[in-house]
Amino acid sequence: MNGTTTIAEFREAVLDPAKRRHYQLAWLSTVDHKRIAILYMLTALVFFIIGGVEALFIRLQLAVPNNHFLQPDTFNQLFTMHGTTMIFLVVMPVLFGLVNYVLPLQIGARDMAFPRLNAFGFWCVPLGGILLHFSVLAGGAPAVGWFSYAPLSETPYSSSPGVDYWAVALFVLGIGSISFAINTIATVIALRGPGMTMRRLPLFTWINFVNAFIIIFALPVLNANLAMILIDRQLQGHFFLPIGGGSPVLWQHIFWAFGHPEVYIMALPAFAIVSEIIPVFSRKPIFGYEFVAASSVAIAVLSLGVWGHHMFTVGMGRPLDVFFAISSMLIAIPTGVKVLNWTATMLGGRIRFDVPMLCCIAFLIQFLVAGLTGISHASVALDWQTKNSYFLVAHFHFVAVGAIVFAVISGLQYWFPKMSGRMLSERLGKWTFWLMVIGFNMTFVIQHFLGLLGMPRRVYTYPDLPNWGWMNMLSTSGVFFMSAAALILVWNLATSFFRGKVAGDNPWDAWTLEWATTSSPPHENFIALPPIRSRRPLWDLANPDRPDPIVGENSAAVTRPDHNKVGILTFILSEAGFFAALILAYLYFYARPQAGPGPKELDVPRTLVFSVCLFASSFTFWRSEVALTKQRRGSMLGWLALTILLGGIFLVGQGTEYWKLFQTGVDLSTNLFSTTFFTLTGFHGLHVLLGLIALLIFLWLAWEGDLASGRGESAFKSVGYYWHFVDVVWVFVLLTVYILPLVR
Amino acid sequence: MTTYQFFTTAWTWNSIVFILSAVASVGYFLAFGQRGRPLYFAAAVVVFLLALISPFNALANGYLFSAHMLQHILLVLIVPALLVLSLPRSFSLHSPFAYFTHPLIGWIAGVGAMWLWHAPTLCNAAATSRTVSAIQTTSLLLMGSLFWWQVLAPREEQRLSPPAGIVYLFTACTACSVLGIILTFAPVSICPVYQNPVDRLGMLGTIRGDWGLTSDRDQQIGGLLMWVPMCAIYVTAILAQLARWHSCPAPQTEKSNA
Repeated sequence: MNGTTTIAEFREAVLDPAKRRHYQLAWLSTVDHKRIAILYMLTALVFFIIGGVEALFIRLQLAVPNNHFLQPDTFNQLFTMHGTTMIFLVVMPVLFGLVNYVLPLQIGARDMAFPRLNAFGFWCVPLGGILLHFSVLAGGAPAVGWFSYAPLSETPYSSSPGVDYWAVALFVLGIGSISFAINTIATVIALRGPGMTMRRLPLFTWINFVNAFIIIFALPVLNANLAMILIDRQLQGHFFLPIGGGSPVLWQHIFWAFGHPEVYIMALPAFAIVSEIIPVFSRKPIFGYEFVAASSVAIAVLSLGVWGHHMFTVGMGRPLDVFFAISSMLIAIPTGVKVLNWTATMLGGRIRFDVPMLCCIAFLIQFLVAGLTGISHASVALDWQTKNSYFLVAHFHFVAVGAIVFAVISGLQYWFPKMSGRMLSERLGKWTFWLMVIGFNMTFVIQHFLGLLGMPRRVYTYPDLPNWGWMNMLSTSGVFFMSAAALILVWNLATSFFRGKVAGDNPWDAWTLEWATTSSPPHENFIALPPIRSRRPLWDLANPDRPDPIVGENSAAVTRPDHNKVGILTFILSEAGFFAALILAYLYFYARPQAGPGPKELDVPRTLVFSVCLFASSFTFWRSEVALTKQRRGSMLGWLALTILLGGIFLVGQGTEYWKLFQTGVDLSTNLFSTTFFTLTGFHGLHVLLGLIALLIFLWLAWEGDLASGRGESAFKSVGYYWHFVDVVWVFVLLTVYILPLVR
Repeated sequence: MTTYQFFTTAWTWNSIVFILSAVASVGYFLAFGQRGRPLYFAAAVVVFLLALISPFNALANGYLFSAHMLQHILLVLIVPALLVLSLPRSFSLHSPFAYFTHPLIGWIAGVGAMWLWHAPTLCNAAATSRTVSAIQTTSLLLMGSLFWWQVLAPREEQRLSPPAGIVYLFTACTACSVLGIILTFAPVSICPVYQNPVDRLGMLGTIRGDWGLTSDRDQQIGGLLMWVPMCAIYVTAILAQLARWHSCPAPQTEKSNA
């Protein structure tokens, strides 16, 4: 897809069977980050239309009081699907798509660090989307809200398989997101071009790099929760059902421990887009790069610890309320710093009011409103009044649409020329922008007042109270403006792709590296990179007489660690999050002893023996690694085989333990102890099994001689990190499950 | 005893603490004189005294887990940080101590100080026995200093590079948060002494009644103190690392990022 496409070429490609097959293969099997990015965005577009139509139906039902256009259950299904679709299948994929396209270009890389993992991450999105929507055919979509609160989401209250499909779909999407994040981190750390030091990273890259860490920590927590609800539903576990001693509040804690960072997972890339576009269209470098960069880190770290403000209405007790209120208010500081930086960048700049900039200005104003209504929810007393009202709906749509969607439109208008070689139409873009501004504010500003008047959210209809009717009608009318905006956007994308103005390499006169290559870029991205000494290499190139001050040392040297190592360590971080959630859930229930089997059923001495085998396997693996480095094939094979044997013995030991428990009538559904025990040790065993498979593959490769002469050494070491990690996890499991009851 | 009476009378006039502070101050000025940064040192002494003689100490000795936690934070995070900062720029450790400046040891010391002293047996012992309490205080100061050495050591080359420092602080923050979360949500008492305190000062009625601090609530506040304000300290340190990174002229700080 080099350069621009004309309709004639396109027609030929579609109509000629040979060419068509070629294109199908080229797109379906692609591992090129640019094509994957476009697949991400197209998939997001498809689901955007689906999620948008769902929203339209929701608003039509709510347009007038006492409406019977939709059945209550249909309404519940629609708002669940709307929320889930928009978050996981629209906002995340479209942002991942933009990052996937732009980030490697901005740092002068040829591709992402792991191209095949990248393709895997993308294909998780259609798979997850299809799974989620298949529930409609399999007995009804989930009708429990995107947060799927227990016990409503448990079998006794939601007996159709909708929630199961929902959980599996989100699990798959979570895996896809994590692989994307691993890839982003490894790419930024290991694949930067000469001169692109970490301190010279463009803000778009830096913020998305930071964001990838939030994904790494937050998504596994969700996946642990999903695993637990699936175990409850499919294997009769007891995690979240009060009847068996389980705790619905635990679901909420774990869900929001993911859910709050998730807000920033969606918002930080939007901040990244805006931080990139505002300077270009103000013709000034960003005001206070360091502050924007550092405040992103502050947001990332704080976001992981403030989930409690989603739960003030649960009744957590005053101490928790107070602490979460304070920590939530703290987030306003780094966010406020950012708004200040963006505004100060515009101050005194020669602002060009093209569509990308218009969207950024709307973003700034609407995000400010979203932030103010958001921070008001940190006040517990106010939160109690507004949490379950339309005030909150208005607040988070100001974030999700008013800030994030506007940033995405801005980013599309800005980077479309790079992707297609043609400009999007400014005229159509302005139509989209103004219709969107009018429609969005029409729909959601009024909802603040509806909420303050007391209209609850998650209701399928409402009584004809004074003013509620016209306010809701106004809100619904806005949807048509937004729909028109969306249609024009799609039309704009389609027509400009064929007939738009040819863009050239750098249509916006921007300064980051993606504009240094052709539009669209060649497969390998760059023929040659310009010298990089500052954060705006293209400015330096265009203005040799007054370049930006050099950032850091004046050298092109960049330290780039092995990307396999970075990738596996990042993966291990995410796995640590997953196991931390499972272990904490175990402890949570362990402290509330139940009738029936307990830790006393476990055979500690036998487990200790098998544990020693597992720990010894770490040592034997290390010997095998040393032998590989020293090129001693026989010794390497021997130690590796011993490692696999020891791992196998451990699994057999686990198996006997399970077998003994089954013999005495203890299985996963017996009581809370057995549910948590089998979940925790089972997931660990699964990881050991996967590690063993990886080791067996390497044994085979080594046997065939494929690891000779240093090839595959870094991959072998990476598997080793994983294997050691599995052992370390067992240390914690052993301490919590087997040793803790002994010392108590 | 009313709240007012308590805060005016419950100061612990512990002569050992005063003598130690005095000896340390004299030692500091003899050793470093003008080269040191006495303001930091003075702040360290003041916080140290506040932690050990103020009414909070009386509360921490058997009454309130949350007061114990506040004392713990002051002794393991604030005082050692100020102490390390007070060292003169030219200061360096000599060989027998230099072994302890490996980042892993610093990390284990910092995180271990939190976890170890909240094992129920140790926590109980420290709240009831003066000897154990003295050992605890000493170990907290030492372990805290080892932890902060990695990011606040007097000379640039003794500190971790800023990106590595961020990883160091973030992982420590996570490890302590996990403990804070466990303490906050534990339905059983982690430190049973505080559940039914021996009412030495006649304060229990005021604490449970006027202050509304039941033993459950008390433990929750303790856990939350470890979780939220403690993390705020680490976040501040992370931001300081970022500031250091962006201000240092030579970006030879890349390698340890992985």
